[in-house]
Amino acid sequence: MNKPILLSRSNIFLFIIVLALIAFPFVMDSRTLTILVTQILIFGILAMSYDILLGYTGIVSFGHAMFFGIGAYCTAIMLNDFESTIFVFIGSIAVGMVIAGILSFIVGLLTLRLKSHFFAMLTMAISGLLLVVAEKWRSVTKGNDGFTFKAPEVFKDRIVFYLVVLALIVIVFIVLKRFVNSPLGRVLIAVRENEQRTKSLGFKTLYYKVIASVLAGVIASLAGSLYAVSLRFVNTAVLTMEITLDALLMTIIGGVGTLIGPLVGAVVIESAQHYLSGLARDFPIFERWIIFFGIIYILAVIFFPKGIVGTIQAKYFQWKDKKAQLNVVPLSKNKESSK
Amino acid sequence: MDLIFSLIINGLATGMLIFLLASGLTLIFGLMHVLNFAHGGLFVWGAYAGVFSYAYSGSFIVGIIVAILTGLVFGFITEKLIITPVYGNLVQQILITLGFMLVLQEMIKVVFGPNVVAVKVPELLAGSWQLGDIIIIKYRIFIIFFGFIIFGLFHYMLTRTKIGLVVRAGVMNSEMVQALGINIKRIFLVVFMTGSALAALAGVLFAPYSGAIYAELGMEFAIMAFIVVVIGGMGSFQGSLFAAILVGLAGSFMAYYVPYLSLAVNMIIMVVVLIFRPQGLFTTAKG
Repeated sequence: MNKPILLSRSNIFLFIIVLALIAFPFVMDSRTLTILVTQILIFGILAMSYDILLGYTGIVSFGHAMFFGIGAYCTAIMLNDFESTIFVFIGSIAVGMVIAGILSFIVGLLTLRLKSHFFAMLTMAISGLLLVVAEKWRSVTKGNDGFTFKAPEVFKDRIVFYLVVLALIVIVFIVLKRFVNSPLGRVLIAVRENEQRTKSLGFKTLYYKVIASVLAGVIASLAGSLYAVSLRFVNTAVLTMEITLDALLMTIIGGVGTLIGPLVGAVVIESAQHYLSGLARDFPIFERWIIFFGIIYILAVIFFPKGIVGTIQAKYFQWKDKKAQLNVVPLSKNKESSK
Repeated sequence: MDLIFSLIINGLATGMLIFLLASGLTLIFGLMHVLNFAHGGLFVWGAYAGVFSYAYSGSFIVGIIVAILTGLVFGFITEKLIITPVYGNLVQQILITLGFMLVLQEMIKVVFGPNVVAVKVPELLAGSWQLGDIIIIKYRIFIIFFGFIIFGLFHYMLTRTKIGLVVRAGVMNSEMVQALGINIKRIFLVVFMTGSALAALAGVLFAPYSGAIYAELGMEFAIMAFIVVVIGGMGSFQGSLFAAILVGLAGSFMAYYVPYLSLAVNMIIMVVVLIFRPQGLFTTAKG
């Protein structure tokens, strides 16, 4: 019971996974696989940031792509216009995060006062507007055609970039884990469970919801920056609904409100996308693989609302409870007999 | 003068199409507290089903009828399969209807092919009238009349018939209606199917208006309809007409005078409404 938390069973398990991921590119000498895993990790960051909104605060945003897109465009434009060095890259991440933070603050302040369906709808509308602006503002974004740019010299080696992304996802995971377990994070969970009640306990829920949406926006912008560098190309696709849907699917299928769940979801969705679109050459129906995802997603919402990790967790706790009860039963019997 | 006149006609026609889409959305929301993100999907299905049957039969009326039937059938399926299982759970409703929207949109590409489909205006409604300097495109007038007829019809049904009475009562307090022994579930289904049919009708009317349809159209129009519903007030039928015309006119005037603002103008109206009257301009629904 009094084991140090750092050495809890799940943390050791995560630690082993991280070690395996560090070793992975050196063991498996495959460029495509390294790129795929990098992609999975980047979307993992995005999905985790979405989980802060959907899983922990219980608000549905359909405009998450706008923050992702802001990060991607900031990095792409700055690397293209200035020198393509690692410092500009770091600077562009910071700029993207600040812009995303400011935007999510304004949007949040304006819309989070409303009920959840308004928020979902408005975020969708605002991000739709941003997409149209990006398409029309060709002098900066080059519209739908997009533009390529040079990644910093260091990232020429895919493995270096992979390791950077891996380091960042670990940092983001630890930060978010600390965040959701902090008193502030607990208030967010309370908002999810019962907003009225949290309000009557004296918490300004709007304030907490805005904090959650700013944090989620900032992290999403980071994911966007990394995504742009991993492709060395950016176009308006980074602002489309598809990105939001990806994050949504990963979070739902992996398990809402678990942080690990979205990562599992990212692995499932990204690898399925990769292999299913590979199958499309032989079976044309797989070109529309999104239908399968849509159907799986609908079924998941109805029958499997906790997702993969959530369901496993629930089963595990059930099993633990049962075990605990078995241990308790003889004790209470003793008590009764002593009476 | 002639310019302003044609801008007004343009704006009214666009507004009417958005109204057809938004009125279904607003009634469904008012009665069931379900925000149907799949509504845009029904719009595109209506457009495609209508256009293909119009091309096949050569009669636009057949196209309209097929679109309405498609809307009814899809509305029935959506209500039974998608809405009922998650009834009462807000977050799940939002998530699931969006997922269904995705499936509907991709199904379009499977059934009708992924390419943009060109649509011609039916012969009877093609061309334009000339009154002095003013050129009036016939099809736009047709849409405006059609929209007003639909509005009148539904306004009559809502205010003068028994089912309209029940629907309006349901918007105010659905538990009370149920307590008085009316099967509110059946009313839900009817309203949902009607709303879907209106969306499909908007789709088929839109097709010759724009001249081309594609699968992503649903999402674009759904966003417009959402904006209109927010401005007009959730659950208000008259509000959605007023807001749709407002959005249509603002869009057409801005597109001419300040083109770069034309995209933002709807958002600006919505933001202003949200700041000063978050419940919308007209409201009958609670919450």
